[in-house]
Amino acid sequence: MARPSARRRRILVIAGGGLALVTLALVGWVIYLDRLVTREFQGRLWSVPARVFAEPLELYAGAPVSADDLEQELKRLHYRTGDPASGPGLYRRRGGDFDLQARRVRFVDELREPARLRVRAGSAAIASLQRADGTDLPLFRLDPLLVGSVFPVHGEDRIVLTPAEVPPLLRAAVKTIEDRRFDEHHGVDLRSILRALWANLRAGHVTQGGSTLTQQLVKNYFLSDEQSLTRKVTEAVMAVRLEARFSKEDILVAYLNEVYLGQDGERAVHGFGLGSEFYFAKPLDELDVGELALLVGLVKGPSHYDPRKHADRALARRNLVLQQLAEEHVIDAATASRAVQRPLGLRAPGSAYVPAYLDLVRRHLKRDYAEADLRAAGLSVYTTLDPRAQAAAERALIRQLRALDPPGHSRNGQLEGAIIVAEPNSGDVVAVVGGREVGADGFNRALDARRPIGSLVKPAIYLAALETGRYTAASILEDAPLSLTLGDGSIWAPQNYTREVYGPVPVARALAESMNLATVHLGLDVGLGKVADTLQQLGLAQRPALNPSLLLGSVELTPLEVVQIYTALANGGFRARLRAVRAVLDEHGTPLRSFKVQVEAAAPPAAVYQLDRMLMLVTTRGTGRGAAARLPAGTVVAAKTGTSSDTRDSWFAGITGRYLAVAWVGYDDNRVTGLTGASGALPVWADAIASLKPVSFDPVTPESVDDRWIEYATGLETTPACSADAVLVAVPKGTVLPGKPGCGGTRSDTTADKLRTWLRNAIH
Amino acid sequence: MAEKRDSLRCRWPALLAALLGGCSLLSPAPPERPVPGAAPPAAREVGAAPLNPPSPGAEAPLQSPVPTRQYQLGPAAQSLVTQARAQVVRGDLPSASVSLDRALRIEPTNPLLWIELGRLRLAENDAHQAEGCGRKALALASGDRSARAQAGRVLADALRAQRRNQEAHDLENQPWMN
Repeated sequence: MARPSARRRRILVIAGGGLALVTLALVGWVIYLDRLVTREFQGRLWSVPARVFAEPLELYAGAPVSADDLEQELKRLHYRTGDPASGPGLYRRRGGDFDLQARRVRFVDELREPARLRVRAGSAAIASLQRADGTDLPLFRLDPLLVGSVFPVHGEDRIVLTPAEVPPLLRAAVKTIEDRRFDEHHGVDLRSILRALWANLRAGHVTQGGSTLTQQLVKNYFLSDEQSLTRKVTEAVMAVRLEARFSKEDILVAYLNEVYLGQDGERAVHGFGLGSEFYFAKPLDELDVGELALLVGLVKGPSHYDPRKHADRALARRNLVLQQLAEEHVIDAATASRAVQRPLGLRAPGSAYVPAYLDLVRRHLKRDYAEADLRAAGLSVYTTLDPRAQAAAERALIRQLRALDPPGHSRNGQLEGAIIVAEPNSGDVVAVVGGREVGADGFNRALDARRPIGSLVKPAIYLAALETGRYTAASILEDAPLSLTLGDGSIWAPQNYTREVYGPVPVARALAESMNLATVHLGLDVGLGKVADTLQQLGLAQRPALNPSLLLGSVELTPLEVVQIYTALANGGFRARLRAVRAVLDEHGTPLRSFKVQVEAAAPPAAVYQLDRMLMLVTTRGTGRGAAARLPAGTVVAAKTGTSSDTRDSWFAGITGRYLAVAWVGYDDNRVTGLTGASGALPVWADAIASLKPVSFDPVTPESVDDRWIEYATGLETTPACSADAVLVAVPKGTVLPGKPGCGGTRSDTTADKLRTWLRNAIH
Repeated sequence: MAEKRDSLRCRWPALLAALLGGCSLLSPAPPERPVPGAAPPAAREVGAAPLNPPSPGAEAPLQSPVPTRQYQLGPAAQSLVTQARAQVVRGDLPSASVSLDRALRIEPTNPLLWIELGRLRLAENDAHQAEGCGRKALALASGDRSARAQAGRVLADALRAQRRNQEAHDLENQPWMN
């Protein structure tokens, strides 16, 4: 008797112990899941890649923005025509008069609420700007254009919505379609599970899921895609714990931000915020009922219902959603039937991708941020990119390279190029094109192609010469053959590109026509060390080797480095540190970092002004004449052409009143191109600048310098009346120039001169 | 940053400024740089027309005047400067910096903006950048006596903040500073 009962007791104890252990383990597991859910969800960090914005377009009376430019910009920002009173993102145009409602947007320094605006624009510029109440407005900036994101982790991209940003209709619609009892259940809905089970049993396979929104969120957020009972149970437990810990509102908003809505190449589109931009190119709060219904319908199967691939399926799905919304009285029947009649209304997402510019932004930011933060921390990056300049530069490079392609060329190893446009005073880089495949990530020639700069080095030599005070634009150089024995015993005997020898020539002409022999004589006289010093002052990072070939541009630089050096020449001798990023904001819009304009004196303004005057002759008399022909008549440009040995590299650097741009053309494998700076890079430069409403370069005349007329061929002082060959140069005040015989006094005849003469006579 | 003396507006009426500019032509400031042509360059020796040394005669100062002018800001840039000043008063220097950045996009070569930016950099204790802005303003203000004097003051303050007192002193003794 005692034995069996003892055994039974032992069994009971073991069973009880086992059960207790299992229960303990289960409780532990639940506690673990609870902790996991709480911790992860509490401090949830959406993986949000850094978003990169272009410079917003500033509108003000006199801004060089025509009515058509303005409309084009509004279209670029995906504004639609319509009654601007009825919502943001709408505008109406009558002739040059615009009435619009700007969207709620964040700038570096403010979050601007939607605002009504009236703009009167002429054929060339903005005439006036008014608020809705008719009062004048000094200026107004349009939305900053989103130009891309730093590539996301696991390809996951999203725009995170705050609860306030979720339209009420979206909440209602998602609940209606995905989880009708969302507001009642506690994470798991037994009724819908049973209903789904019944439906699946009858069909013999899985047709319905009984998952609540909470379960879907848990699955997407914490779990794998694996279909197993364990996972199902885990999911249910976590869903219940999530509901116990967090409000319905938190869970719904998290769901709306997490849900997967489509695929864009390697980029996965998550959340309704990005979904709206991806399918309709506008913010969520501007979607109409039909558009919202499509997005909600996509949740069930973004690839099956992909509206860009399967428009018929997507349309049917949208209409089913609309019908269900009407049945549940979320929308009225009339609204539903109107929406059913409408097309899907898809629009291409965002604007053109600008990988070469983003590359510069990424490198700029990498100095301050870890790659992981850029990919996931939800930063907003405000850049100096000008989408108009970028588009012009891309168009120019593609079009001109196509025109330059030799007949019968193959796509493999074809002619390549790069162009960078900058605002020289601030150092703002406004456009970067790194090759003819402008939309593709790839070799970024603008930043990485390091090539001999050829004659682009010459301005530094002439600047060094002017700085010595021993030369002016009118000094005479000898363009004569020379040969040097180099340190290694070899003989260096440079030649002019034309193989000709020009004899005595004025400094200004030697530079304008890029004479190698005259320049080498000049550079050797000034000294290689001094030339290298000047290059470094202008912003060259590393001291170049002091070989005589430096004087003909053997130094290898990237287009970006050339831009940096030329900013000081475009900028009265001030070096402006190149800048692509203005500021970085965190996910809450708090500024983290700003990058200020940084200017430093690099070269004496008077010498730079004298040099600039000579560089203007490059485009009127010298190797850059072709540029003038491609720009509006009378546009003053200071420029320099560059061709490396045997025409492997074609360069052009040019300065207008608003922009400094540098273009390069060549082959990636360094083959001979047969192109000079004037025949290769110049057309690219001129094409880009011509479409940017160029204004004349007009540097400020320093008080220690005079503008004077000399004869281009001889350097003798003259007047335009006396010599058809007169060109304007600048020389230090008080310089007496030998006059052209028979041309009278040495004085120029400007308005200022007349004023001075008049004053002198009046006083004496 | 908010000194009264640094009003952006030029105080000289245009006519007076023109006359002063005109008068100054008759008694010009000494040249800022060594006179050119003092030492004949080697490369020039093979040339045909040697560079003449400047004549110290009475004609030399009369070569050509720097036109006098008076810089002003357009309404858009002016409103941003006003905004930036208000932001400085509130102690919000980063926003002031953004406002001036915007203004520079509109008028990148207006010396008055670089003067303003120089003052902001001084307020931020960034004397090095203030110096850059002051020098740039000074270069751009060629011909505008009032703007030059304001730029000179920013530059002198920036030099002093870097303990370069002698340079600041020399600058302040320039005739155009007063």
